[in-house]
Amino acid sequence: MDLVIGIGNRLCGDDAVGATLVESIERPGVSARAVHQLTPDLAAEISQAGRVLFVDARFEDGDGIRLERIGARQPAGIGHAVSPEELLFWARHAFGTAPDGWLLSVPASSFDPGAGLGARTRAALPAARDALERWVERGSGGNECRENV
Amino acid sequence: MMGKAREIHIEPVTRIEGHAKITVFLDDRGDVSDAQFHVTELRGFEAFCVGRTMWEMPGLTARICGICPVSHILASAKACDAILAVRIPKAAELLRRLMNLGQFVQSHALSFFYLSAPDFLLGWDTDPAQRNVIGLIAGNPDLARKGIRLRAFGQEVIDRLGGKRIHPAWAVPGGVHQALSAADRDGIRSGLPEAIDTVRETIDLFGRAFADEESREILGDFPSMYMGLVAPDGRWEHYQGALRIVDADGQIIVDGFDPSAYRDIIREASEPWTYLKFPFYAPKGYPEGMYRVGPLGRVNACDRFGTPLADAELEAFRECAGGGRSGKVFDYHHARLLEILAALERMERLLDDERIVSTHIRAEAGVNEREGVGVHEAPRGTLIHHYWVDENGLIERANFIVSTGHNNLGMNRAVTEIAKRFIRGGKVTEGILNRIEGGIRAYDPCLSCSVHAVGRMPLQVEIVGPDGAPREVLTRSSEEA
Repeated sequence: MDLVIGIGNRLCGDDAVGATLVESIERPGVSARAVHQLTPDLAAEISQAGRVLFVDARFEDGDGIRLERIGARQPAGIGHAVSPEELLFWARHAFGTAPDGWLLSVPASSFDPGAGLGARTRAALPAARDALERWVERGSGGNECRENV
Repeated sequence: MMGKAREIHIEPVTRIEGHAKITVFLDDRGDVSDAQFHVTELRGFEAFCVGRTMWEMPGLTARICGICPVSHILASAKACDAILAVRIPKAAELLRRLMNLGQFVQSHALSFFYLSAPDFLLGWDTDPAQRNVIGLIAGNPDLARKGIRLRAFGQEVIDRLGGKRIHPAWAVPGGVHQALSAADRDGIRSGLPEAIDTVRETIDLFGRAFADEESREILGDFPSMYMGLVAPDGRWEHYQGALRIVDADGQIIVDGFDPSAYRDIIREASEPWTYLKFPFYAPKGYPEGMYRVGPLGRVNACDRFGTPLADAELEAFRECAGGGRSGKVFDYHHARLLEILAALERMERLLDDERIVSTHIRAEAGVNEREGVGVHEAPRGTLIHHYWVDENGLIERANFIVSTGHNNLGMNRAVTEIAKRFIRGGKVTEGILNRIEGGIRAYDPCLSCSVHAVGRMPLQVEIVGPDGAPREVLTRSSEEA
């Protein structure tokens, strides 16, 4: 079972893009969920997955979507939210195993309160959907380390 | 330093929700004369809710906090039910109860396993870099793993009911907007055995590790009154029921009290050094009217849980307290575990009630009352939402008394007791600072809720001399919180 996790607040502009993208996933062998933010208790579910893909907004760091491989990283401290890399660490450290981790990031310009995606994020949606589709299709055979679109 | 009085400031206080600092006042010999717990941020939800429609209030007030949204949604929906003057359908009541119990499980598990257990399972003086849940995983991986899964189960209950774990816009004036499917009911039910096993195992471990009086007195031991909702027969209650207040020996002072009339028995005092108000039991005045709420408050106030496993553990807990009521701050942790067990047993009963999957889940009505009060038990204690509306349902005034506020006097008393016990001759080690923080942490305060403040809770300890001048400040940044 592969796992896709869309991250973001649907009421904070472009931050909604992660949740928006995972809504459409309905595929045997793939579990998808949208979360407001990542929390450590997701580690149990992640440890059971064959692969995990995090889908998130990327604030003002170049145009184009990015699909990249990520690894586990030990958190510096305990806060309200954890990063995808830290969740992989939690999975491995607490549950003994972590799946291959991937991050699909979509360019974003504003996380201000309000519904609806901005022009820059909307423009990136087709490429993001395509990348998501290909990641899902690729199954466990996927091994590309980085993909910029 | 001997011969020079001073203040110790602890800032930020770590591993709690919000932002605060502690000031310890030393006398000429370097011993503690007093201590204060300051809450240093302000948000003002009561002000900016004015002018909004009551229909928005559950969604708006859920944003007070990312840890306690379920608590605010339910209290708000109950206040709005009162404005509509409706009795919500039975299925809606059962579902709201189920979600509140899920909130108890996830919030208490977060407090116990993630935030507090590293202190007493790894040691109060352990290197702060290791004294966190990551260190707990290394030191006791099985317990940590089970704790993570227990919290995940509580989150899953909320997720299955509300569609998401944080800020589920689910409870609405008049009921709830989504029924529970049989598949989701069965899914929740399937997770209960493991969750119950986990909490029973943890209670056993905790009880054996901290059976001696001394280890349980480490965070202070003092008498106070205790408050919580109870059912008409005295059972532990979390959603409806009436307010009960007992004294330090468990003798009932107030019973069967309509919570919507809370202002007749609760007043709020203010101090110039903190944004967090000090609720007190009005007939006894301030500060003599100190009472405590939350896990220890409810466990001390009720006669019994009304479920077999939790009642057996409650009996053992009360035996430890000499047959009476515990005033030990450390026992908040034990009470928290008992409440998780009770919540899981209550969930089993709710899921066995066929009415819980009914699709009759919402009563429709307009504005029939100009004022409404919603009261229920949040994990941290009694939560009160009180709204006044115009004829169109626009909020004219709102008042929130949140769980952490009720415990303000108790938290200040705990900080003072711990500081007086451990600080001698002005010597303050990191381990002592952590014990002082631990006194606050035991209450599991949510300052995001109580002062409506944004952000995490860093800690500063400031040492102040008798001349009022700060002598030393020990600071921990929010990044370490």
